[in-house]
Amino acid sequence: MKILVADDSRVMRQIVIRTLRQAGYDDHDIVEAEDGADALAKVGSEKPDLVLSDWNMPNMTGIECLEALRSSGSAVPFGFVTSEGSPEMREKAANAGAMFLIAKPFNEDTFKEHLDEVLA
Amino acid sequence: MTEFDTRFEDTGERRRTSDAPLSIHDLLDGETVQSIAQEAWSALVGDDEFLVPLPGGLPDDALSSWVEIVGPWTGTVVLTCGRSTAEALSRALLKEHAPPVLEPEDIEDALGELANVVGGNVKAVLPGPSVLGLPEVGSAPTAGSPADTCRVDLLWRAQSLTISVQGAAGALTDPHENNQNEVPL
Repeated sequence: MKILVADDSRVMRQIVIRTLRQAGYDDHDIVEAEDGADALAKVGSEKPDLVLSDWNMPNMTGIECLEALRSSGSAVPFGFVTSEGSPEMREKAANAGAMFLIAKPFNEDTFKEHLDEVLA
Repeated sequence: MTEFDTRFEDTGERRRTSDAPLSIHDLLDGETVQSIAQEAWSALVGDDEFLVPLPGGLPDDALSSWVEIVGPWTGTVVLTCGRSTAEALSRALLKEHAPPVLEPEDIEDALGELANVVGGNVKAVLPGPSVLGLPEVGSAPTAGSPADTCRVDLLWRAQSLTISVQGAAGALTDPHENNQNEVPL
């Protein structure tokens, strides 16, 4: 399976990828995107099985990316990995079609809890 | 299955412009800020990385990263440390992906992301709704009013760093100024 990791921070993309490995998802292909617009394009070109996206990003935010995907008919499983998880954001994410929202900081157990049903 | 936290319902309470400005001291304390930072350090820097609440003094070449929070309380969460500390933090975050020579962008990215995670979790304990800005890195922004600043001095690997949750400069200096628009013109 293929996982698209979208975050404008290269450091955070590395941490997300490392946590995926630590959680046992080390046999999946990883594709990186540096903002929402890049993620939107790469969902089309790379056909990932799951998108893990930051929320706050320049050019196109994560929620704008998700809304654009759903508007275009894409049903790719989408989860947020973001530095804040307010009730308003969780509601907005759910309404837009996100499967989950993982608030930073996270660990491998948090990833397993949310990703097992998608990737198992 | 979709699983979202619905424990925090909107009570419908709203602040009025006639209410006194919120001071950060009414909303959180240094212990909370340290606890939030420690959680971020344990998850991102490493399990055995501890922040010790001791003042140590910052070097002249200190670098800051910060995120802005805009809402019922408006201000900035600022992380400041020396450049060598920032470099060590970047290596700790990147681990095996750290290049032999770190680029300035790597250090700014790492320090900015730490401020982003700490800021996001500070925002979570403040009254909402509020908005978190994108992280910025550079010389420390102007300090806010002491009456609206919660600062913790910490040591990480015996190196000093500070985390300051500071109100927008001057926001508490003249509370009457905020009420001017209530008078019909």
